[in-house]
Amino acid sequence: MGFKDLRSFLSKLEEEGQLVRYSEPIALSPDWSDITRALPRMGQYGPAILADNLEGYKGKKIVAGVHASLANCALMFGHSKHTSLQDQINSLGKRWVAAGDASSAKLVWVENPPCQEVIIEGDDVNLYELLPLHRLNPSDGGFYLPKTCVVTKDMYSPDDIDSENVGTYRCQIHGPNTIGINISNMHDAGEHIAQAEALGVPMPIAICLGNDPMLDFMASTPLKSDESEYKYAAALGDFTYELTKATLSNLDVPANAEFVIEGEILPFERFPEGPFGEFPGTYSGVGKTCRIHVKRVTHRKDPIYSTIYIGGRSETESDMLLALNTCSLLYNQLRVDFPQVRAVNAMYQHGMTTIVSAKPRSPGHAKTIALRVACTPHGTDYCRNIIMVDAEVDPFNLTEVMWALSTRVRCEEDVFFIPSTPGLPLIPADVRPPLGRKLVIDATTPIPPDEFRPSKVVEPYQKSTDWRDTIAKIQQQLQK
Amino acid sequence: MKCLRCLRESADVVAKAPDGSGAWEVYYCTECNYSWRNNETEEISVLEKRDAWGQLDKVDFNQMRVNVYRAMKKPV
Repeated sequence: MGFKDLRSFLSKLEEEGQLVRYSEPIALSPDWSDITRALPRMGQYGPAILADNLEGYKGKKIVAGVHASLANCALMFGHSKHTSLQDQINSLGKRWVAAGDASSAKLVWVENPPCQEVIIEGDDVNLYELLPLHRLNPSDGGFYLPKTCVVTKDMYSPDDIDSENVGTYRCQIHGPNTIGINISNMHDAGEHIAQAEALGVPMPIAICLGNDPMLDFMASTPLKSDESEYKYAAALGDFTYELTKATLSNLDVPANAEFVIEGEILPFERFPEGPFGEFPGTYSGVGKTCRIHVKRVTHRKDPIYSTIYIGGRSETESDMLLALNTCSLLYNQLRVDFPQVRAVNAMYQHGMTTIVSAKPRSPGHAKTIALRVACTPHGTDYCRNIIMVDAEVDPFNLTEVMWALSTRVRCEEDVFFIPSTPGLPLIPADVRPPLGRKLVIDATTPIPPDEFRPSKVVEPYQKSTDWRDTIAKIQQQLQK
Repeated sequence: MKCLRCLRESADVVAKAPDGSGAWEVYYCTECNYSWRNNETEEISVLEKRDAWGQLDKVDFNQMRVNVYRAMKKPV
């Protein structure tokens, strides 16, 4: 069912009317950046765009919008492009459960892989000329690789694929063959850097670009440090994942990636990096981060560079890429201890505001579930506003959520906060990064002895939905 | 040449349009790591029109925030 590479998925998108080919000249700045911002604002059926006539890069292929819409995500999962958000999340949740620890996932290692058809090394590497690089946001510190699968290994378990990490980290081009990379010490790759620095040795690293859509999806998913992104890509996508060894290290890389940049990070080297327009809709600052010394770039023949827009305050492809996985993974992690959880909406700013619907089993229980959200690996630093609603409230329907907030919340009893928790340095509201805070709003109906003032809830209209459908059909006839 | 962001004399041409069109050149500063093209909008490529918010000419690089990773020794 899965797509083994970007090319096969682009063919599927084209077959479904979800890929626009564009060969007219495009100015790099600001036109291409504006195009990438436009795609996720085109609604459920927003397409990807494949261009080959970028200013100065004529003939080089670049694609954006692969994950920009609900329709494209549905096709990635093998669904009809018309599949709703809720159905996609439900289906993904079931796949997570069926995948278990992904130990049955099929991985194979191939010789002479497509990603190594062409090899460029040493002084011949000039990333500015090799890749159609562009500025995403006007005040970015340079040209970034925004859609990456960065591969690093546990330095103490170099043969263990489960602890090998594939993550999406922002990479700023620092000259023809060096790259600044911003990795938080909360992230798995940050642990690998810490290990390499404790050992005092260079850390091998590979940046894979233009990957199959499921690996891009998994690299953005908050898996645990001992869970393999490759295995979950294979398990959730239901296909055999083809890997190969990097040419200069023991790293495992996708055999069918369009580009693989191989290099190493030297211990304790730090250089200015940033700013970068980030997902909260504000720029990061400039700080000193690690540097990748690029040794070799391998790529497919006639490679396709895949990019994504990040930086706007909402409706970006980055938001879409992280929406489904964050919702379903949090849902599954909460359900382990709290089967009373019915749904999780963590679609906004990577779950910074997370809405959980649940059927609390005892007085105060909703607050306990909220605290569990704050203790999940992702929630620890990302989920800063946690809203609990009743099981009957659809957390994806913001009109219903606003009803719950408007009518169910007593500020003295249902709102509390925890100061000085882990947070994200990217949030301008948090003034002592990386310290953050948690806000919990319990908008569920109290369970005795906790109670509201006695009142009677208006009964639902039993046949309202049937009538809505009937009237809509009549209206459709009128509009023909 | 002078970097448009940190104003140090530490920038140079590092790339030209690979299709041979001469559409642009890329400049890169080895001090602050800024890069830009000569044909970007004036708010980026003309010093007088740049947003003061992003300028680094008054910033002490030694005082910059540094990503630090706690040393992780091999588990016993």
